[in-house]
Amino acid sequence: MTFEPGDRVRVLPSEKPGHVRTPAYLKGKTGWVESLIGAFPNPEEIAYGLSGRPERPLYKVCFRQTDLWDDYAGPAEDRLYADIYEHWLEPERGST
Amino acid sequence: MGGSPGGPIDKDQHEVEDWERLADAINSALGGRGLQTTDELRRSIESLEDYRNLSYYERWAAATEKLLIEKGVLSGDEIDERAAEIRRRWEGP
Repeated sequence: MTFEPGDRVRVLPSEKPGHVRTPAYLKGKTGWVESLIGAFPNPEEIAYGLSGRPERPLYKVCFRQTDLWDDYAGPAEDRLYADIYEHWLEPERGST
Repeated sequence: MGGSPGGPIDKDQHEVEDWERLADAINSALGGRGLQTTDELRRSIESLEDYRNLSYYERWAAATEKLLIEKGVLSGDEIDERAAEIRRRWEGP
C-alpha cells in the first residue's frame, strides 16, 4: 500500500505491544497524507536490537485538532501534523 | 503527556547538573560504540516501572543501566560496585 499526498487515511487502532512510534491519541483517527518524508529502518524493530530492514515509508499526516480532542476549544482550522509509518495507515473506508 | 493531561508546565529555566551532562555523554559514547541505539533507549525508558516518578535524565540513566544489563554489556553487580567506588571517592576519606 502506497499513499499519495491528499489521500484520506486512518491510523490503525492497533494495540500492538512494546515500543511503537505512533501516538496513542492518533489511533483510530482519520486524517490525510501531507507528504512522503522518506523511507527509514523500522524503529519499532531497532528498539529490540534488530536491523529494522527493509526500510518503511514514513508519511507526514495531517489531522484536524477538532477530530482528535472532544473538548478542543481552539480555532476549527487548527491542524496537527504527525510522522506516521506506512504500516500504521490504512485507506479511509469509503474513500476512493 | 502522550495525549493525556500532564498538568501545568514549569517554564522556568534551570541549570543542567553535572551528572545530567554525564548521562548525556555516556549515551552518546554508547551510541558511537554501537552498543545502544536511540530506539532501544526509548523502549527501555518506556518500560521503566517508576517512569512517572523520575526526572528526564533519571529516566535516561535508569534505562541505560537496564539496557546494558539486558544486552550483557555490564552486569548489575559491576555497575553497583563501580557506583560504590565513585561514591567513596566523592565523599573522601
